[in-house]
Amino acid sequence: MSEFDIKKPVVALPDMDPEPQIPEEDLFFTEEELERIEGFTEKYPTNRSAVMPALWLAQEKFGFLPPEVMKLVAEAIDIPYAQVYGAATFYTQYYKKQMGTYVLDVCCSFSCQACGSYDVLDYLEEKLGIHAGETTEDGRFTIQEVECLGSCGTAPMLQVTNGPYVHNLTEEKLDQLIDDLRNDKMPPFTSVTMPQDEDEMGGNRRSDVEHTDTYRTPPAPERWI
Amino acid sequence: MPTVTIDGETIDVSGDKPLLQECLNMGTELPHFCYHPAMSAPANCRQCMVEVGTPVRDRETGELKLDDEGNPEIQWMPKLMTSCTVQVTDGMVVKTHRTSEKAKRGQKDTLEFLLINHPLDCPICDQAGKCPLQIQAYKYGPEGSRFEFRKVHKPKRVKLGPRVTLDAERCINCTRCTRFTEEISGSCQLTISERGVKNYPITMPGQPFDDPYSMNTIDLCPVGALTSTDSRFKARAWEMSRTPSITTLNARGSNCYYMVRDNLIMEVVPRQNMQVNEYWLPDEERVGWAYERFNDMRPAHGPELRSDGELTPVSWERATDAASKALGAVDPSEILFLGSAHATVEDNYLLKRLAEALGADAPRYIPHIDAGHDDDWLRTDDRTPNAQGCERLGIHPIDADVVRSRVEAGEIKAVYVLDDDPVGAGLFTEDQLDDLIVVLHYYNTTNQTLPVTDVALPAAMVVETVGTYVNDHGHAQTVRPAKTIKEVNRTLMMATGKSRPDMHGTPFDRWHNDDNQVDCLPGWEVLPMVAAHLDIDLSYKGPKAIMAEVSEENPAFAGATHEAMGLQGVRLEDVGEPA
Repeated sequence: MSEFDIKKPVVALPDMDPEPQIPEEDLFFTEEELERIEGFTEKYPTNRSAVMPALWLAQEKFGFLPPEVMKLVAEAIDIPYAQVYGAATFYTQYYKKQMGTYVLDVCCSFSCQACGSYDVLDYLEEKLGIHAGETTEDGRFTIQEVECLGSCGTAPMLQVTNGPYVHNLTEEKLDQLIDDLRNDKMPPFTSVTMPQDEDEMGGNRRSDVEHTDTYRTPPAPERWI
Repeated sequence: MPTVTIDGETIDVSGDKPLLQECLNMGTELPHFCYHPAMSAPANCRQCMVEVGTPVRDRETGELKLDDEGNPEIQWMPKLMTSCTVQVTDGMVVKTHRTSEKAKRGQKDTLEFLLINHPLDCPICDQAGKCPLQIQAYKYGPEGSRFEFRKVHKPKRVKLGPRVTLDAERCINCTRCTRFTEEISGSCQLTISERGVKNYPITMPGQPFDDPYSMNTIDLCPVGALTSTDSRFKARAWEMSRTPSITTLNARGSNCYYMVRDNLIMEVVPRQNMQVNEYWLPDEERVGWAYERFNDMRPAHGPELRSDGELTPVSWERATDAASKALGAVDPSEILFLGSAHATVEDNYLLKRLAEALGADAPRYIPHIDAGHDDDWLRTDDRTPNAQGCERLGIHPIDADVVRSRVEAGEIKAVYVLDDDPVGAGLFTEDQLDDLIVVLHYYNTTNQTLPVTDVALPAAMVVETVGTYVNDHGHAQTVRPAKTIKEVNRTLMMATGKSRPDMHGTPFDRWHNDDNQVDCLPGWEVLPMVAAHLDIDLSYKGPKAIMAEVSEENPAFAGATHEAMGLQGVRLEDVGEPA
């Protein structure tokens, strides 16, 4: 994925005969975990539907999802390995390789792109000295270029390690975020204001109105209210 | 039964097929890539767009609402629909690209999107000439592309498995291949990896694509993304003639096309026959050694006669004369006639008649059973195409122990073998046959009985002859010549002309080639020649006349004339043990 950029759009072939990365003695689900997985499969009409929570559980346990873990998940929920592989490679939220402690998923889909997400990405790449898809040498940060995270109203935005969103990014906010994360301080979850709540917030539709006074949006036009 | 109006033409439809299939059935071509009648419709190529409307009913009375002119009022769906996922309902009105500018525009724009990252390497692509994407882009596509940026580059020359090579750039992600492994073959070895512009089909790491039916994905692929490792870059689609025939490596007799260039079989691809193999063909019928079997291993010399311990080429006249002398020299009860489940019904019938006329025992055939090869689909334990045909003629499997003891006791002095390999099959050893007179019709130079053969007669293979095979379910099917033999035979010439749509042998046949012809003859040509030397009349006008006689005389073959069998074959009645 790291080689994929707009000037040189090349999709690399994955290693088709990879060395196992998880030692064989660690490669198992405990009784308790298997019970949880059974809970997932019971929830759905077909086992195939349980692939997402099962992969999630595996990622929480092993940290990332190398092929042998995908195989383990396939066996646990009794579906073909190919279907697990297809689902895991589709979502950037499933980590197919060892990631840094903090993964910065910068959304680069339409709305964010229009609001300058490539500038955000460039700034981060320069600041951390790595390209999108790579991990810093100290193993602390990984940058990923991801597709829409569903927060177009607060573009440009990023997500930290499949956790809190950081909205309306600016260079200052990125500096602050990196400093905080270096001190292991995760950004807080912030909720997005719905248009109907705008009156209470003085017409400011930004979700982080308390945290910032830059990028104040003008009050919504009358016809919206 | 629902009635649907397509482009102003009202037809009755069964209602259990999607709209796309109904349109195709009535002869309205709709461009499509991902839809296949045997598989689920994911509607992900978005190509078969049509406008669909349904009649408006009054909510209270349930009556059809009529407009001012008395016609039913039609409520059109707000957007174009993919016809492969539209279930036909009564009174539905459909406008295809023939009558609707909107549908035409929709199809055109979809094709422009599909072609954005397609490499357009048609000049070197194996699929060019038979490529749905190419054909449909010409017919329904835009004049050019507005995409002025670098195309996404994906892995090329990926060996997915032993027989299939992937060119991911050409893929349009129709998912026919992944659905084939999931829904038809059940091996689930392919999946679409990644997302967006980066996706392409691949096996998961550490898993080769070794499904025994993997090569069907090559035929399903609507572009040149999945190609045959053996035959990629060997021949262009328009250089080959295709002959409808059947495969002969097992008893199922799957229908196929033999693709021929320069009198060489280049490819074997499946042919639809819903009573036998539906749309599919197992890999074993068409991997590399199919090429060797039909081309490289064919005998280089014509008929041969053993003189001074060496096989030396002679004329057909001398060879058949020698064969008849060999049969005439010994007592008829001392001749062992071996029919063959590899040979056609016609050849076996003539051999049986020859044995009868001489007063010898009825021919027997050597069974070739490979236990465990059966998969309840298109592969069978029986590795011969015509065991059922032999049985129906009254030619039964040979009792190996009995015949071996008879040979040891010196009760058999001559062996006449039709298209088989008694030494290779383990029936006899070379030593046992050394002192006997052996006349052998054979296909390939790998035949292990050749070193002890006295008269070697090269036989026309399934790709060179006309004849009938009966599969294990009793389905009688004819084969026709895909390539020509060196000898001039009027029947074969006529049949080749009919079977090859490239006007073979005429001045318009651009690929007529006298090279690579094998000096061989079909059994129904050689056996009458041998019989004539023995003053037995076995002459027929051709295999068609033989089959007409067989189907009339033998109730086990009732109705199995060449005319009736045609391209799809005839299911024979099960008459039990024939007389």
